[in-house]
Amino acid sequence: MPEPAIVVEDYSFWFKMPGGDRVLALDKVSFEVETEDFTLVLGTSGSGKSTLALNLVGILPDYFGGWNEGRIRVRHPERGLINRRELSAGERFSIVNMLFQNPEDQIVTLTVEEEVGFALENYQVPRNEISDRITAALDLVGIADFRERSTIRLSGGEKQRVALAAMLAMKPQVLILDEPTSNLDPIGKEQVLDAVQRVRERSDASIMIVEHEVDEVYDSVDKVLLVDNKHVVGPMSPREFMRSNGLHVRDEMGLWIPQATEVGLELAQRDVVLDRMPLNGDELVHALRDVIVARPARPDTDVPAESTAAAATGEQVAADAGDGRDAADRESVIQIRDVSYSYASRADVLRNVSFDIRSHEVLAIVGQNGSGKSTLAAQLNGILRPSRGQVLVDGKPTTAYKFAKLAKRVAYIFQIPEKQFIRGNVYDEIAHSLQALKVDEAEIAERVDAMLDQIGLADKKTLSPYMLSHGQKRRLSVACMVISEPDVIILDEPTFGQDYRQARRIMEFMTSLAARGSAVTFITHDMRLVAEYADRCVAMSEGRAIFEGGPAELFSAEDVLRRTHLKMPPVMAFCNELLGETVLTSADAVERIMEVVHGRFRTGLQGR
Amino acid sequence: MDDFELAYKDADSFFHRMDPVSKILYVTAVSFVAIFNSSIVVGVALFAFVFFCAAFLTGISLRTYWTLGKVIMPFILIVAIVFPFFYAGQVTTGSEEIALRTPIRDLSWAALGFGALLALRFLAIGISGLTFAFTTHPADLVQGVSRYGMDYRLVHAPVLGLVLFPSFVQLAREISTTQRIRDLGQDRNWLQRKVGRMRHLAFAMLVLGLRRGQTQAMALDIRGYGASKQRTFMRPLPSSTAGRVFAWTFFAISVVYLVVQFTNMSGAMVWNWA
Repeated sequence: MPEPAIVVEDYSFWFKMPGGDRVLALDKVSFEVETEDFTLVLGTSGSGKSTLALNLVGILPDYFGGWNEGRIRVRHPERGLINRRELSAGERFSIVNMLFQNPEDQIVTLTVEEEVGFALENYQVPRNEISDRITAALDLVGIADFRERSTIRLSGGEKQRVALAAMLAMKPQVLILDEPTSNLDPIGKEQVLDAVQRVRERSDASIMIVEHEVDEVYDSVDKVLLVDNKHVVGPMSPREFMRSNGLHVRDEMGLWIPQATEVGLELAQRDVVLDRMPLNGDELVHALRDVIVARPARPDTDVPAESTAAAATGEQVAADAGDGRDAADRESVIQIRDVSYSYASRADVLRNVSFDIRSHEVLAIVGQNGSGKSTLAAQLNGILRPSRGQVLVDGKPTTAYKFAKLAKRVAYIFQIPEKQFIRGNVYDEIAHSLQALKVDEAEIAERVDAMLDQIGLADKKTLSPYMLSHGQKRRLSVACMVISEPDVIILDEPTFGQDYRQARRIMEFMTSLAARGSAVTFITHDMRLVAEYADRCVAMSEGRAIFEGGPAELFSAEDVLRRTHLKMPPVMAFCNELLGETVLTSADAVERIMEVVHGRFRTGLQGR
Repeated sequence: MDDFELAYKDADSFFHRMDPVSKILYVTAVSFVAIFNSSIVVGVALFAFVFFCAAFLTGISLRTYWTLGKVIMPFILIVAIVFPFFYAGQVTTGSEEIALRTPIRDLSWAALGFGALLALRFLAIGISGLTFAFTTHPADLVQGVSRYGMDYRLVHAPVLGLVLFPSFVQLAREISTTQRIRDLGQDRNWLQRKVGRMRHLAFAMLVLGLRRGQTQAMALDIRGYGASKQRTFMRPLPSSTAGRVFAWTFFAISVVYLVVQFTNMSGAMVWNWA
């Protein structure tokens, strides 16, 4: 019988607030994590996932204050399960360790070798043993040849793997990974998840991973633990968790769930019950083939004719926007013409890039880190000026505009909201953009109050922007740039650090702006977002725009996906296999599968 | 930030083989002689010596020195050209005979020597500082100083500074860009706007820096940083007898020179503050 690696019993934690007040963050939490288990920790932004992780590792309350009750027991290699309190800080961290979200925040030395050996030196591991342990840890995460490299020049994914190796060198019993891929591009994400998988196979550590985007890990975890409003549900098996909580966590809590599971749950709601809850595309395809073939055909009367026609011709099934974003209304607002750009330290970051940005349209710019996306975005509002070629805003080159004037027409929203805040409170932060346009004070007050209501921050208007939660900061950063109604809005990684509900909220707001005539451009690594919201995509690779077209075309262009290291969303992959057609969202997939299940297209499927 | 030049460069040279404390001695001696020396001859000799060490004893190309050194060249030129006009007998660097007539003021050989001495002073200190940075691995510095009883946690701080420096520069650039995008202080005059932007930059850097520092502190703690007073150092500390002899000899000569110089001036300060 597996033994627990960590046991949490009736554990509560309160944050210490200025003035001595207590704020309850975890309320009588009890659970166990078994040895060698791979556990996924789910929860909304601000639900207490990171607080739980910091308590498990001992950073809270020991280092940053607070009060706790109950106990946490951990498995000591020699002494068995013991109360964490009985261990010194050093011992504690060598048993339970944690990888942080941002790789930049946890690199503390200049070379990979030193970074991995740093903890071993602190724990006074003998010098002759350190080298072997560094070699083993680097090998475990697949970067054995990185040993001599400088940490400063590593990519995000590489840094995160180095940080993971540094933890593994300590041989911890429990490894907590706090959103380890949220700051990474697709290739970095893949590298880190591969490394985690390798660690799982080759070490006996229990791994707990906190993640928002679960498609890539869900089918490989052993258990799922849900942190919900200061309480914990589970751990339970992933299938059991989705069966009992799947729709609740998506609809009520607003979390991402795997697209295959989402489709399975929606089908179950419509009376198409699968043998077992699918956790990935393969399982869904397998389960549905049986259902589709076994189910007798029956006439269907409730399928809309136009949808049927689209399906019959094998076209992309995408809901007609019908919200003012018709292709006919789209006019070019920015023309990018043969733009090249070189930094003093790096040549040819952009090479002959040409495309248009249009009103009434949501455009996604995708590609790896370093492919030129951000440099391209910086050309659009004049932060950078092209080395060659032109960026024309309303037919006039950006070089002919005053910077401040151009910045008001082309709003740029940073990935990290804090970098954008310039005023002392939430109200002033939004009002600033209108004051810069010399709008009348009464009108400013009216428009700012309306915006505060819209973004749900009306009760926070006197607070410092830095005091808001991450989701609130993100909404504020968007609000303060769009209040002045710019023609073009550029959004860098809109869903960074956001859960599903918050991400959707922002994107739906953007879509509404596009419907009113704005040109919305977003830079992202999130292909689900691209599939769901983009009208058009530009894929960047090595400074070139190698693709321009709709999301369905992008995800069908294998060469482009290979060169940009992008992956089609899971729903598209399994719909391709199951239906032989392009479907971009879970909702569309459910509709199409229902049509097929109802028997209209049985012949095509049986022939496959 | 793509490039980060102020860093250790791996090589096998006389200076790389010296222990860090000997190199600290070398830089200290150069700095004190450069600052307190009042003789143009010694100034030139010191510069030549430091340049010789950099060119032939470090294994680092002069181009690498130039990459960083060129940043302070405008400052050194300004010092060399402007300060002779303010010469008032501060140091004894030449005769009072007029060497150059200008519309502003006629410059004596002593005044020109004063400018040259100041420029040589900064060049000598700059080059020896770069020699130290290029040839001293930060981990060796921590280890070297720890051997003399200093807490390794204190000495690791400069290493952390080197790691964090590029990202802080990047952060400052992004905040400055934000200020331009959002037109911070658009209703103020140029000076007020600049002051306002500097104040905001300082505040934002402080808030974001503190937050970053907090995470960095956690990252250090969970890797056992400070778990005990001592630690193992996996890198063997460079150490050479020749290096120690070189450093101590140079240090001793420097002390003797400075003592002689002060003595000859009968205890008077070299600088004439009046």
